[in-house]
Amino acid sequence: MLSTIEKSSPLRWLGKQLFNRNDPAGFFDPLLTMINPMWAQGFVAARIESVIDETPDTRTFLLQPSSRWHGFRAGQHINIIVDSDGVRHHRTFTVSSTPAQWRTDGTITLTIKRAPGGRITNWMHDHLQAGATIGISEAFGDFDLPAGPSPLLYIAGGSGITPVLSHLATLADSPYAAPVSLLYYVRTEADVIGAEILNSLAANWPALTVSIFHTEVGDDSQHINPSHFKNIPELSERQVYLCGPKGLMDRVDELLAPFGLRDDQINKTFFSAPTSVPLDTPLGGAITFTRSSVNVESDGDAPLLEIAEAADLTPAYGCRMGICHQCSCKKTEGTVINRLTGKASGPGEETIQLCISVPQGPVSIDI
Amino acid sequence: MTAKLNQQQLDSLAADLDAIRDSVRADLGERDAKYIRRIIRLHRGLEIGGRVMMPFGFIPPVFAAAVASLGLAKIIENMEIGHNVMHGQYDWMNDPSLQSQTYEWDTVCTSESWRQTHNFEHHTYTNVIGKDRDYGYALLRLSDDSKWHPGHSLQFINYILLTVFFQWGVGLHELESERIRRREIGLTDKRDFLKGFFRKGGRQAFKDYVFFPLITFPVAPIVLAGNISANLIRNLWTSTVIFCGHFTEDAETFSEASIENESRGHWYYRQLLGSSNFTGSKWVHILSGHLSHQIEHHVFPDLPAHRYPEIAPQVEAICHKYGLNYNTGSFGSQYRTVLKRIAHFSLPDRLRLKLGGMTAKQA
Repeated sequence: MLSTIEKSSPLRWLGKQLFNRNDPAGFFDPLLTMINPMWAQGFVAARIESVIDETPDTRTFLLQPSSRWHGFRAGQHINIIVDSDGVRHHRTFTVSSTPAQWRTDGTITLTIKRAPGGRITNWMHDHLQAGATIGISEAFGDFDLPAGPSPLLYIAGGSGITPVLSHLATLADSPYAAPVSLLYYVRTEADVIGAEILNSLAANWPALTVSIFHTEVGDDSQHINPSHFKNIPELSERQVYLCGPKGLMDRVDELLAPFGLRDDQINKTFFSAPTSVPLDTPLGGAITFTRSSVNVESDGDAPLLEIAEAADLTPAYGCRMGICHQCSCKKTEGTVINRLTGKASGPGEETIQLCISVPQGPVSIDI
Repeated sequence: MTAKLNQQQLDSLAADLDAIRDSVRADLGERDAKYIRRIIRLHRGLEIGGRVMMPFGFIPPVFAAAVASLGLAKIIENMEIGHNVMHGQYDWMNDPSLQSQTYEWDTVCTSESWRQTHNFEHHTYTNVIGKDRDYGYALLRLSDDSKWHPGHSLQFINYILLTVFFQWGVGLHELESERIRRREIGLTDKRDFLKGFFRKGGRQAFKDYVFFPLITFPVAPIVLAGNISANLIRNLWTSTVIFCGHFTEDAETFSEASIENESRGHWYYRQLLGSSNFTGSKWVHILSGHLSHQIEHHVFPDLPAHRYPEIAPQVEAICHKYGLNYNTGSFGSQYRTVLKRIAHFSLPDRLRLKLGGMTAKQA
């Protein structure tokens, strides 16, 4: 009901007059979410229905998004919004279930692996249980199903299988007659994600061939190599879908080169979690001011405010000593050192003060 | 008179205060998030409660409850939420509704103007005569740094007007009317500011004095009177709290020369000496947005304010260590000295001194 305020422009105008905010419905969130967390207006709420162990370090979270959510296409991602120790975090994950499932019972699944040292994936594994509510964004991404019934080749590594699971289950429902091959690379047998779904798909859908390779089993490690393509007929005719760590994707590019596939035959999706720079990284780095599309190099301990000004940008500023927060803005990527405390920031998106933040390695700033 | 510190002492003062700041910073988390969200829920409850009760204000006790509820809502929103959020106290939470640079508060002054005049000018140049326009708001003479003229003898009336219409005074602060009067700048220089002022001021007036009375038409006069009263209560309380922060008898002022090439230690020194606290119950602190801990607020403007009472003993101990006055007292006694300052400096200096009046302290 409240979300209609956002859609009608006279109501939005009125809401702005009464509540001094662009999302007037959000004014009521603190009370609404106390009654029922699913009533949040500031973001789309989603309740955790159940948590399923896939592998020792991977869990599938079954979510029920609130009715305001617009749905997704197979292969798309969502951002999840979680508060951990008072701090709001956003992380991107691929929906591993099918749009058909969402249309039937309103649920989606996210299959999430603990990233070593990853703050949020570990927090989710340790704290998120059935009954909890998190926020989610609308779906985005263009790792879309093929338009026509062409033969397909999927190559996935590790948790890169998640969009593929959604694709394959959707295709199997259609049913899809052209041949579909999956080459799936995991460290060991125990690391296979979605084993049950893959087995049942392969058993009931003759067009699908699944090959799973273990890259870390003793001497006979099965890293991707040309022999893996031998049993894939008409490879050069296929639409290829790639999702996995960067190393695997680069290697696939090399191996596929001789087959002469066109660019529009290759579909990739990858997002890597932001990782911290090593502690001994020198100060300075490649700075990107994203909104003004300006790239500059900085070395030494110049703070971002001075770097921006040297590049002829005019960000808002005040005291230039870290007191007044006039120059606070969003860092979207990279690590900065706070001059006052000497502490390093995290690698992801957060609010920083330009005048006392010194880049350590490449940094992107939203100004 | 409090101690003058040499550069070495100032550096060590800065190191001591930085240590407090760092330890609070490192400890920020769930507790602070829970605190501010609880206060926000309280604000929403009070505001909605006040608005809903107001049309039934023809029953006198309901009118009193509605006015109190809406007045408290505005006080809490302005002081403990708006003022503190805009200082960046909760930026670390990464919650878009608690971001210093985008928060818009429930008062006439635009947040943008406030961040410029208050967060930057007042907090950077605290009590530096000529640089800190909050010192007397260019309306009151509060020290002998500025020359007396006959207009000052009536400044007590100005003070009453300022405190009654405080939100409008704060809203117009950036206009720098004193410079316009001196013809240093013209109204055209302030065109962007005025646009923002009329938009925000119009919005606040529309909401409280047009919209809510109109939709409750048969009882419009009651709702209008109630909303005016709630705004008045907020104006009186906030201006009184703010005056107690820097205009008490022992709060010191500084000259522009004293802050040339200022070190961080001297900035801290100036914040400690230029600010004053008052004591009170937990609710007095919350309703003042913890500006009852003005000293702690001025040394650590971007630490969550509910932490000030916890660190106050450490800050006081540091003041004693360096022989600096830690200016505190009961609300009543501090406020009395503010009124005394306004009254004494309304007199010409010779008369004031002859009557044994106050002497201002400039560090």
